[in-house]
Amino acid sequence: MQLPSLSELNLGLTVPALSLALWACILLVIDLFIPRDRKSVTAWLAAGGVVFAFIANLLVYRDPGVAFMGLFVADEFAGFLNIVVLLTAFIAILMSVDYLKRTGIERGEYYVLLLMTTSGIMFMNSANDLAVVFIALELLSIPLYVLAAFRAPEERSEEAGLKYFILGAFASAFFVFGAALIYGATGSSSLPVIVDAVGRALAGEGSSLLLLLMGSGLILAGLGFKVAVVPFHMWTPDVYEGAPTPVTAFMSVGAKVGGFAALLRILLVALPALTVAEGDAVAGWQTATWVVAALTLILGNIVAISQTNIKRLLAYSSIAHAGYVLMAVAAAGTPGVSDQATRAALIYLMAYMFTNLGAFAVAMAIEKDDGSGTSLDDFKGLGRSRPLLAAIMAVFMLSLTGIPLTAGFVGKWVVFQATIEAGLYTLAVIGVLTSVISAFYYVRVIVNMFLEDGEGDPAAAATPYVQWAIYLTFAGTLVLGIIPSLVTNLSGPVALAVASLVP
Amino acid sequence: MEATGLSLVTVVLFLPLIGFAIMLFMNERTQAGAIRWTALGFSVLTFLLSLGLWALYNPDDPGLQLVQRINWLPDYGISYYVGVDGLSLLLVILTTFIMPVAILASFRSHIFEERGREKLYYLFMMLLEWAMIGVFVVQDLVIFYVFWEVTLVPMYFLIGIWGAEQRIYAAVKFFLYTMAGSILMLLAILYVGINAGTFALPEIIAAIQTGALSFPFDGLFSTQGLLFLGFLIAFAIKVPIWPLHSWLPDAHVQAPTAGSIILAGVLLKMGTYGIVRFCLPLFPEASVAWAPTIATLGVIGIIYGAWVSYAQRDMKKLVAYSSVSHLGFVVVGIFALNAAGIEGGILQMVNHGVSTGGLFLIVGMLYERRHTKAMEAFGGVWKALPLFGAVSLVIVLSSMGLPGLNSFVGEFTILMGTLGSNILGFVFALFATLGVILAAVYMLYFYQKVYMGELDKEEIRNLEPLHWSEKAALVPVLIAIFLIGLQPAPFFRSMDASVDALVRHVDESVPEVVVGNLQMPE
Amino acid sequence: MPTFDEFAPIGALLILSVVMVALITIISRLFGPYRPSLRKTAPYESGMKPIGPAVRRFPVRFYLIAVLFILFDIEVVFMLPWAVVFRQLGLFALIEMVIFIAILLVGYFYAWRKGALEWE
Repeated sequence: MQLPSLSELNLGLTVPALSLALWACILLVIDLFIPRDRKSVTAWLAAGGVVFAFIANLLVYRDPGVAFMGLFVADEFAGFLNIVVLLTAFIAILMSVDYLKRTGIERGEYYVLLLMTTSGIMFMNSANDLAVVFIALELLSIPLYVLAAFRAPEERSEEAGLKYFILGAFASAFFVFGAALIYGATGSSSLPVIVDAVGRALAGEGSSLLLLLMGSGLILAGLGFKVAVVPFHMWTPDVYEGAPTPVTAFMSVGAKVGGFAALLRILLVALPALTVAEGDAVAGWQTATWVVAALTLILGNIVAISQTNIKRLLAYSSIAHAGYVLMAVAAAGTPGVSDQATRAALIYLMAYMFTNLGAFAVAMAIEKDDGSGTSLDDFKGLGRSRPLLAAIMAVFMLSLTGIPLTAGFVGKWVVFQATIEAGLYTLAVIGVLTSVISAFYYVRVIVNMFLEDGEGDPAAAATPYVQWAIYLTFAGTLVLGIIPSLVTNLSGPVALAVASLVP
Repeated sequence: MEATGLSLVTVVLFLPLIGFAIMLFMNERTQAGAIRWTALGFSVLTFLLSLGLWALYNPDDPGLQLVQRINWLPDYGISYYVGVDGLSLLLVILTTFIMPVAILASFRSHIFEERGREKLYYLFMMLLEWAMIGVFVVQDLVIFYVFWEVTLVPMYFLIGIWGAEQRIYAAVKFFLYTMAGSILMLLAILYVGINAGTFALPEIIAAIQTGALSFPFDGLFSTQGLLFLGFLIAFAIKVPIWPLHSWLPDAHVQAPTAGSIILAGVLLKMGTYGIVRFCLPLFPEASVAWAPTIATLGVIGIIYGAWVSYAQRDMKKLVAYSSVSHLGFVVVGIFALNAAGIEGGILQMVNHGVSTGGLFLIVGMLYERRHTKAMEAFGGVWKALPLFGAVSLVIVLSSMGLPGLNSFVGEFTILMGTLGSNILGFVFALFATLGVILAAVYMLYFYQKVYMGELDKEEIRNLEPLHWSEKAALVPVLIAIFLIGLQPAPFFRSMDASVDALVRHVDESVPEVVVGNLQMPE
Repeated sequence: MPTFDEFAPIGALLILSVVMVALITIISRLFGPYRPSLRKTAPYESGMKPIGPAVRRFPVRFYLIAVLFILFDIEVVFMLPWAVVFRQLGLFALIEMVIFIAILLVGYFYAWRKGALEWE
């Protein structure tokens, strides 16, 4: 076996993701020497690592290539999603500093785990091989299981961690089985090799078609668990409600980014030619994603109506938003639209990142130290007691609804455009109708804040770092909504292509 | 058509937003008066500059004028593209005209004593003005949709925060109802834009005219028919065309006075304007095919609205249902699909804005004094406040369509257009006329109940005289009523060229049906 | 293209193993003498009398130690094959293994500092 030399590994391209993982290991040791009452130092060191990775990512963003003998791709697709993930991690750290302190769960491991899961997502964005996807998936998931239970021994948090762990383990098993079936059908786990093998398998005897379909179905199911789409969404509300709020915020964006990154890359790089019947113009998985997207949109939005807890409401809304991203994935199954649909999914994820993190930050700002204060009734009268906070929250809610001049509108806009271009009119109609349904529960938050009078004590002021997180996401939501060309230009060159070994 | 320099349209559009930004930094407690005056000042300034639009406007040119275009999202073919033509000029001026009136009407309102938050109120007013002007001047489908949706937000808050007892129900109903309609329009916009390769309306219409772009049409529910419906349902909810009107009475009755004035004065017009601006030129075949159906709904609305108005004992509800009736007229006029019908329709939009705005204004003033909207609580107001009674009479008569006042001109032209139309014809005109008669019935009933009769109620005898700000709000309404009623020619002149071009475009697209091309009676 | 044929030997082995186990059990049961007594059916056939219930509580520290043991034991599983082919792999493999050990060391150090290795 010929092993590569160090220069052939192209390590430079992996610096953003690797540096973060390495820094997490180092930080774990450094944290041992930081006294208990000064754990915020760990937070800032972790944030520094994120900033470093962010800068490194910007440097490699325009210079795509492959590393680790084709296992790892650094292209615009990964670069763009890395930006989303690193911003998520940074904002999550900002949200965590005071929250951990006031809820009495301040421990250095928290930030280490956060960095590890972040680097897991980044590997996920770049993975070009089913085995790497799996390892990245585990690196993403395991720290999140621990983080979800970080509020132990509180019962709901423990329940969240355990539930997430067990269902997540199932999801991983599904994914591995699917990957194994695809390996069985094509003889390779490398995505660029699989695409050729799929073509050959379909051209020849169709004996392996069943394996390929089952494999892609299982992969869809496994990743569907991670991004919480119906019918793999059952864990979401309980886990989101029980986990510490900053973790929930991170999970609702980060895990979705990683899951969709792997899903898009596997479907578009390895399986674009996988058609059910010979001569089909569209990919065979389009119907499956179509149905899952429609179910997700309908169920997520309808069940959200009856929620009375803001974290559960945002959990169901995050299910619904996964449905919108999945609309773009389904649209990507039509050849010729796939690049545009990929961009739409990425823009949607970025828009969703700002808005959703912001909404969680506000929810966290009014949460009480014992974890109560997250019901929708607690928002009553907020427009009077904390006008600025309430106004910003209103913008987040409008953005989640998809009202123009906010990021949410731009996201929905590009997704609907891709869906219509792909000719999926029914799905587009389902998408807009469920948007109207979603308006109902988002507007109810606004109603509670501005139109109802509150009882009980007004919410305490948000702590400084949380305020920074809120302002940052608020600015992102508005800027993306008013000047969307900033992000659409950034996502301009994004296109998923077969990244081969040859540089 | 392409222009890069700063256009007056852009100035008019963004002036309210500048006012918004300035007011944002004022202190609510110490500078309440200054906030009020800033709002008024900016709205008056916007009005004056919008008159400048008319001065710069060349009525012989049917195309867009004072155009400005900046790329906003070049990858997706979306640009900031504004300008005015004969279809939108009057409506821009109507918007800027109604806003100072609405702001003046809020100066002494009781709502701030009850709910406070005066600064937020005027901030929303400025935001609303910006969005409404945007709806009328923007020529890009996507940006149009943006402004269209943005108008929802401030209005939602105006009703929801400063409305009457049922305000939350009314506000949420308003929001969901109108959003449900408009979001289907988003899909239609996307479909049109993707097929045309651009979202700029003039370019799309030009492509349709040259035959480079066409939406297949063979029947009411063909591709073009569905696209037409996608747009029309959004507009029909806003207008509102019967049977999609049920949000309107709730919103009107619960909204504060200024909210009602703006709602009736401008927001409803966005629907009828949208039909003229988008439905007719984009989908001419579908418009012709659907015209009888929609016009029938319009006629039903005329009679239904009038009938229900007559049954009301609540002044605001009465005026609200009369809006359904009046807007039915506009819809019938538009779908006559000839120059007279459309011009009458546009002028009637302006007239209804002025008259019904005025009606809400006087109802609001009565409410401020008695804190009830029930007609039984009044009677003999004329004797207590003769000047107010006289002014109210003019507004009521204007709304009825008395010759010499504004509405008469619009309604008469619409009836002319309907009679001369090959699509609608005599029966529609007959039923529409019935609506005019019914309007006289319920309006006079209202006037008689509230203003006439003996001065036998203690509270009425002690009615507080009009505050100067209330007088100031009424004066421009009166001026507009007489001006349009006595000198309608310049208003028609501003529309002639553009409407003519539109009618000819529809006519040429549908060779089988000869659209009646009755010219304007001079 | 791998097909199911290549897995045939594995399938044969699977079937064979099941059949073997079944055969041995059944044959010995059929042909062997079977005379149970109290002594013979006791848990400890050697004659020891069991004291107390079989399921007992352990101090939780045993579990921690066990987990740590498994964690660090795994490294040997990786190192053994690595050592066998080390000469062919060369410098690259050495670097890889150093990284691997370094990560383990971080974990070891963490466990040490946190007091996981101390009994009291």
